[in-house]
Amino acid sequence: MPGRAVRAKAKERPLWLLTPGGLLMVLVILIPLALALWISLIDLDQYTLRRWIEAPFIGLGNYTEAFSSGLLHSIWISVSFAVLSTVATVPIGIAAALVTQNAYRGRGLVRAVFLIPYVLPSFVVATVWRTMLQPDGVVNEWLHRTGTLWLSGPHSYWTLILVEIWAAWPFIYLMALAALQSVDHEVHEASAVDGATWWPKLRSVILPYLRGPVLLACLLATLNHINNFTLPFVLFGSPAPDDVNVLPMIVYVTSFQSLRFGLSAAMAVLSLVLIAIPLFVYLRAVRLDVHEEGGR
Amino acid sequence: MRSGRMRLAMALTGVTTLVAALAACGGGDDGGGDGKTLNVLIGANTQYPEEFAAWQKTISDKFKAQTGATVKFEQFASANDELTKIQTSVVSGSGPDVYAVGTTFTPTAYSTGAFVKMGDAEWQKVGGKDKFNPATLGISGPDASNQIGIPWVSRPFVMAYNTELLKAAGIAKPATTWDELTQQAKQLTKGDQYGLAVAYKDNFDPWKFVWGMSVQAGNPLVDGKTARLEDPAVLKAYETYFGWLATDKVVDPAAVGWTNPQAVAAFAKGKTGYFLLTTTTATNSLDQGAVKGKWAFALLPTVPPGATSRPANGVEAASILSGDNLLVADYSKNKDLAFEYVKLVTDSETQLDYYQKFGNLPANAAALQSLASDQKLAPVTEAAQKSVATPFTGAWGDIQLALTNVAVQSLPDLAKGSIPPATISTRLADAQKKAQSALDRAK
Repeated sequence: MPGRAVRAKAKERPLWLLTPGGLLMVLVILIPLALALWISLIDLDQYTLRRWIEAPFIGLGNYTEAFSSGLLHSIWISVSFAVLSTVATVPIGIAAALVTQNAYRGRGLVRAVFLIPYVLPSFVVATVWRTMLQPDGVVNEWLHRTGTLWLSGPHSYWTLILVEIWAAWPFIYLMALAALQSVDHEVHEASAVDGATWWPKLRSVILPYLRGPVLLACLLATLNHINNFTLPFVLFGSPAPDDVNVLPMIVYVTSFQSLRFGLSAAMAVLSLVLIAIPLFVYLRAVRLDVHEEGGR
Repeated sequence: MRSGRMRLAMALTGVTTLVAALAACGGGDDGGGDGKTLNVLIGANTQYPEEFAAWQKTISDKFKAQTGATVKFEQFASANDELTKIQTSVVSGSGPDVYAVGTTFTPTAYSTGAFVKMGDAEWQKVGGKDKFNPATLGISGPDASNQIGIPWVSRPFVMAYNTELLKAAGIAKPATTWDELTQQAKQLTKGDQYGLAVAYKDNFDPWKFVWGMSVQAGNPLVDGKTARLEDPAVLKAYETYFGWLATDKVVDPAAVGWTNPQAVAAFAKGKTGYFLLTTTTATNSLDQGAVKGKWAFALLPTVPPGATSRPANGVEAASILSGDNLLVADYSKNKDLAFEYVKLVTDSETQLDYYQKFGNLPANAAALQSLASDQKLAPVTEAAQKSVATPFTGAWGDIQLALTNVAVQSLPDLAKGSIPPATISTRLADAQKKAQSALDRAK
């Protein structure tokens, strides 16, 4: 009986009401995606742009060229940069959340200060850091090092990670803080009654509560790092040093400086696939159930 | 069944509405009689935004009085914005009627085939080809019968030098060969004082040096469909350019992180002999610094490094052909109005007014001539006449990028103190590969 009731209910659901939203999705997401896929298969550049419909179809030509023009190197740089940045921001974010969990004088101020890196536009962050990291800038002066290059060569990779960490940790902090706030009062009381000291309480009681939201934050943060264009572009300019030639940079240069729209579309499609793999695995694994009991 | 049809009907309504809305956005260029509007895409002037707005108003008023039509200016903030606008306009076949584009971007614009080729009739409409400084026409098209770019303003590159420092070092005249320049720079370097200010981390400066020195040595980098980057002249150019900092030590080591504005600022402090590669637009910045009243422009050297005179096939290139061209869109429904506008802004009077306000030199020959009496400006007007066009190929953007990339990747070595020629050669081989592949694709 209940089964039939559910089926009847499903039948009555006015799904057609989703049509406007669905149409919009098709128009805003699916059509451009299909276009990008199509463009990645044709030889579209400045010479064929005007009659782009007639641009020659070259199959997977753009894809093979993408791999021979440094895409693998860029993928490696992007992925390692994103993972390192995420790994480094998690402990900072959680620690900051724990520090601002209990009420004390000035907690509001501390919370506000913690958010500063997050609310500053990426452009501003990059410009300020670029000024500080000049060969004769304040950082070198402070470290008593003359002429160390932070914005070119091998150091630039670590510069990118450092600045990204500085700008991105408050995101983990926000998510962790939200999770901490949702821990029931009884849990704190119960662990106090059981005589748990702070470390066992943190490790066995509080942190498990954080697991879901922080994992979700890690996923989102990693995707944000991989997609960050403004930071490397403003910090290093274009063409970028090889050590920081991340995916968005190589796609940008190919598209807007070399005007190889077909090739850059192939690169963009490949990076989409790259991002989709961990996303898919993660979504399958956690099913985004932040609360284990579902809609309790 | 019924609900299926209903869905279809709704979908159709939605699509129709959207198409109608898009069509409405695309139109707008046409209109009749005096009420016509001419759309002009022009680069924003971040240095003098208010004066620029006032200039636009004046032009708009004059144009209205002359033709009855209105000029609507649309500004772009960066070259990238402009490119995006050109791309979307080229694909959709509608957009601005007149574009102001940088000279080095003209070959790329030409390769899209979306702009009006100037025949005799068209040149007549803008006041005749003769009214322009002949050098400025050098980058209007691949040859004289296939031109799309109408010269608007020139920003030739020159160097600025500190008159007091040169006098103190006993240097009577600014250098005219690159070797002489290096020699003088060594004389000028002592204590906290440096011979040259060079913007090594600039995203455009490096290729201008390399191209200039190479073309003076007889290698214009592109020979028909062949790139010639792996060439002794190019290697020598890079060695000279890096050598100032690495081996001659006549540049502040911090210059390895400088962009052009940072180099201007360094020179403005009054502790540097020469500032290589600048234009008249830097005048205000220099006059606001400690160097005020103590600096002058000079022509960049035109004799290649390692030589005392130019080889027979060398070109006397004082600067790249730099400035802005005007392009009329092929899809424009107001072409005659567009040419009227071009005529107005390239007239002697308008050009001189524009120069007074923004420091861009006239492309109009008569207007340029009238500035020749200005002693301070003489080297710049000379540079405008001795400017040489970079190769006119759609591949130039890529070649420029490859040349700059050699400098970008060499900066860490440069900071360490020396770059072995073998390293430069390896990077040049990579640049050659990229340049050649871009030329191979050029149509």
